[in-house]
Amino acid sequence: MADPGFRTRPDSRGSTELQLEDAWRVVVLNDPVNLMSYVVMVFKKVLGFDEAKARKHMLEVHEEGRSVVWIGHRETAEAHVFTLQQWHLTAVLEPDETR
Amino acid sequence: MKRVEVKLSLPVVAPLLDILRDLAVELARTLAAPQALHDLDQDFRGSWIGELLEGQTEDIRALLSLFDGEFFTEGVIAFDENNAEPIVRACTAFRLQLRERRLKSLGDESLESGEIDMEGLDEETRKAFMCYLFLATVQELIIQHLDSSILGS
Repeated sequence: MADPGFRTRPDSRGSTELQLEDAWRVVVLNDPVNLMSYVVMVFKKVLGFDEAKARKHMLEVHEEGRSVVWIGHRETAEAHVFTLQQWHLTAVLEPDETR
Repeated sequence: MKRVEVKLSLPVVAPLLDILRDLAVELARTLAAPQALHDLDQDFRGSWIGELLEGQTEDIRALLSLFDGEFFTEGVIAFDENNAEPIVRACTAFRLQLRERRLKSLGDESLESGEIDMEGLDEETRKAFMCYLFLATVQELIIQHLDSSILGS
């Protein structure tokens, strides 16, 4: 998978901390049209998921209405959203406010 | 190169081509899946949509090119690793547009389950639904036989 946006930096105590700056989420929303097999294929193709991970996220979209499929730097997140939209999935970009 | 040839019933599929051509005209100006792009600035949004539209148009062109002379003489359409990806995307674009413009009255639950009483539909809706199912079948065929070609490209 592409750069997840994590970077390490030494803190004042000399230890290393993991920090996520400018984190954005790529969220795929449910639609009543796309076939399950199609969504699985798109997740594998666009996000590099294996079959099991692609199916897990597809079912999440289907059953819960949305699935966060990627988190990281905005530029890469935008690229993923664009490609998912090229495949006609409803994909949105959200700031990741959980961190 | 892996190639999949599908023999179609001309009397069944030929009438659906008029719908596909109408959809292609509609989708020359609009995205099949309108997207929320609130987080993008105005200029970027314009070029974003423009590029999506351009790709959508190319995909649709690939799908329509399946129905050329060979289709009308032999009833055969063929998929390979060069056209599988745009065609599978174009099928989705058409299905989204069919749902939005011609099949709203059926309701999403019925569309998803496919449990539709065909006898109860008027002629126009019946043809649109046939088209919707036909495109799904094309997609399933491609995904079933050419998934690895698409993933490898």
